Amino acid sequence: MLQARGLTKRYGGQLALDRVSFELRPGEIVGYLGPNGSGKSTTVNLVVGLLEPTAGDVSLLGIRAADDPIAYKRLIGYVPEEPTLYAHLTAGEYLMLVGRLRRLPAGTLQKRVGALLRLLQLHDSRYRSMTTFSKGMRQRVLVASALLHDPRLLVLDEPFSGLDVNAGLLLRTLLQLMASEGRMIFFSTHRFDMVEKLCSRVIVLSAGRIVLERSVAAFARDGADSLEETFVRATGQPDFAPLARDILDTISGG
Amino acid sequence: MRNHPVAVLTRHFFTSLFDFGVLSEDGAESLKRLLLGGLAFAIAVGLLLARVFMTKYGMLAGAPPEVYLREVVADHAFLMALSMWVVAAAMALASQSLFPDEIDFRILMAQPLSRAEVFAAKLAALLLFAGLFVAGSQVALLPLGGLTLIGAARAGTLLPATIAFAGSSLAASAFAALGIVAIQGLLVLLASRSRLLIMSGAVRSLLIGGLVLALPFVAQLPATAGAFAAHAWWLAWTPPAWFAGLERWLLGDATRTSLALQAASAAAGAGAIATASYLTLYRRFDRMTFLSARALQGSGASTSLTAWCRGAPVRGAVRRFVALTLRRSVLHQGLAAGVLAAAGGLVLNSLLNADGWDRLDAAARGALAGTLLWAPMTLIFLAIPGIRLALSVPLDLRANWIFRMTEDIDGRAEVADAAGRTVLAWAVVLPIALVAPLQWRVLGWGSLTVLLVEAAIGWVLLEYLMTDWGRVPFTCSYIPGKGFVPQMCVKAFAAYVVFTVATGLLLRLSIRHPGIAAGAIVILGAAAVILRTRSLRRARQTNLMFEEQLPSDLSPLQLNAD
Repeated sequence: MLQARGLTKRYGGQLALDRVSFELRPGEIVGYLGPNGSGKSTTVNLVVGLLEPTAGDVSLLGIRAADDPIAYKRLIGYVPEEPTLYAHLTAGEYLMLVGRLRRLPAGTLQKRVGALLRLLQLHDSRYRSMTTFSKGMRQRVLVASALLHDPRLLVLDEPFSGLDVNAGLLLRTLLQLMASEGRMIFFSTHRFDMVEKLCSRVIVLSAGRIVLERSVAAFARDGADSLEETFVRATGQPDFAPLARDILDTISGG
Repeated sequence: MRNHPVAVLTRHFFTSLFDFGVLSEDGAESLKRLLLGGLAFAIAVGLLLARVFMTKYGMLAGAPPEVYLREVVADHAFLMALSMWVVAAAMALASQSLFPDEIDFRILMAQPLSRAEVFAAKLAALLLFAGLFVAGSQVALLPLGGLTLIGAARAGTLLPATIAFAGSSLAASAFAALGIVAIQGLLVLLASRSRLLIMSGAVRSLLIGGLVLALPFVAQLPATAGAFAAHAWWLAWTPPAWFAGLERWLLGDATRTSLALQAASAAAGAGAIATASYLTLYRRFDRMTFLSARALQGSGASTSLTAWCRGAPVRGAVRRFVALTLRRSVLHQGLAAGVLAAAGGLVLNSLLNADGWDRLDAAARGALAGTLLWAPMTLIFLAIPGIRLALSVPLDLRANWIFRMTEDIDGRAEVADAAGRTVLAWAVVLPIALVAPLQWRVLGWGSLTVLLVEAAIGWVLLEYLMTDWGRVPFTCSYIPGKGFVPQMCVKAFAAYVVFTVATGLLLRLSIRHPGIAAGAIVILGAAAVILRTRSLRRARQTNLMFEEQLPSDLSPLQLNAD
């Protein structure tokens, strides 16, 4: 189980995350929603161990990130929001680099890399450096690198960004399958449709605090507000109609 | 006129010629200032050279005309070589922007611009850029050039002599510029799209390395008056000599016809290739700039993944990562090549000036031994911190997260080991291997003992200088001049003097007394092992250093603030 308790993060005097607590059980897919600047990426970086919290702690399968960060990170696969990777390498080279850094046996690694390149439709581009890759192709490489070591927890930050329809459907199906086999999936997104289709639970963040945590099934009940309506209300979003009107007036006016 | 699309585009291309394709906007701006400052520095050096040569020409004032003329020819070859060097270096650094590329095509062809306007703007920017450095180098060398023409003024032939010198000198600079454009043009036309970037970077590094290594030869030119008088065979292989020959031919010296012909044909050949490359690219711009799927499938970056599986996992991965980065990153490759070439140039200069290569008797061997024992020590002393610096320059700080996610205790030591082995190969083994054949020729079997002692010295110095290395190569910023720069320079120079004197003495003793050599190898080897063990233990206990800016470290824009 992933347990985040009272996670707080300050950057200088600015409070980015304020006593955030949640749990993620094996087999669960949790969607993490929030407007820009609400603290989603900070939470993700704390959960994967790239940042240390100012207060609070996070643990996975009983291992506290603060006590044994190396053992903790071994259990995690991570797909960052931006496709940041060493683009001068080919996809295969990047996956080999990641696999060797994760100390996977050479034979296993070569087999997995070859298979993942084929399954994620990167095989035809295996000799090209990733500088020529589209965002979607880089995203597929990152997904492959996060899966290489068969992690217990998969943390994804906007994983569907840049993926085409087929790759998106494949990833969605894969995440569902992984969860059904007991792995935990935590993904941060702006896409309500993906949360509704994929997640068992949703957590909504606003201004560094959790403002909503609910089962996704609850939104499907008769008479219940949709996820989008609930999100707008919970995060105090303004009415966008006047803003849209102003924009249109600006471009159509003299 | 100022806002005409071609003028705007010319300004854009001209500016981009200064960014060298490897730096950020701020870095490009700093480099632009540095280059312009370099031109000012060159003018100051020109004045200094004139002051140095003034003594020589004062002594030559009473010499017979043929002696005077001989010296002038050699000095003019030197002046032309300097000017060619400056222009070639600037063009080589900007070689990635000499031709319109795929990005230009994708962005500019979508605008209301014709292909002719794009190419005209590129050519205009290129001419301005080359012209700036040609003019700058000519101005810098004006005082010295004027000094060498005093004899012509006395003989009443100042005007033709000036015209011939200026014309030949300009032709030499133009040849240097056109030569680089031609090389890049051939690459653009002949290299497959998938390899162009890598090959272009490699050629640029080779050119920069070659130019740095050529400096000692340039510095030798004023001393080649005798060779010019004797029509030495190697003049036919020395481009500045061709143009010095052209100058003499223009002044009526028929014995220099072949050199003049070489100059003319070389300049015409480079010009023809450069023009043909531009014309071909102009006609086939769309086809040549788009990536061909077929070309990409057949050839490209490394094909073998097996190489990643050698040795300890993290050490092997980091070594392979370093090797591929040095092969593919223009910045890092250029830095490494530049550092090695600078150290090589210094040593080459001493080797060229050493007396006795032509006879190799006992006295000559003794004299040469000093230089040959000093040479690898100097190379090692300069190359270790140089390669260490090249590994310290960051590649993409945002991509560092993967190393942070996968860091472990043994991995830290393996990272330190990988960095150490890379520096060992480039900064210790390579320099020793380069000088070894010369040492063998002069020292005979004694060179084998020298080789082992040199390797032990290099290993100890490497372990000492890499003790505090605690990072994955290319993941942290290096900020030069953290200390007081003059103090650092004095300390480095003092260390260099002590190191080369002490190691020179040890190597000389090792040749004469095998016991001392054996003792030195054992002691130095033990010291290196102790330093290595300590540094690996320390690496295990210390977190790897990283410098990066995570997206979450940035202040949010607060677009949704209440």
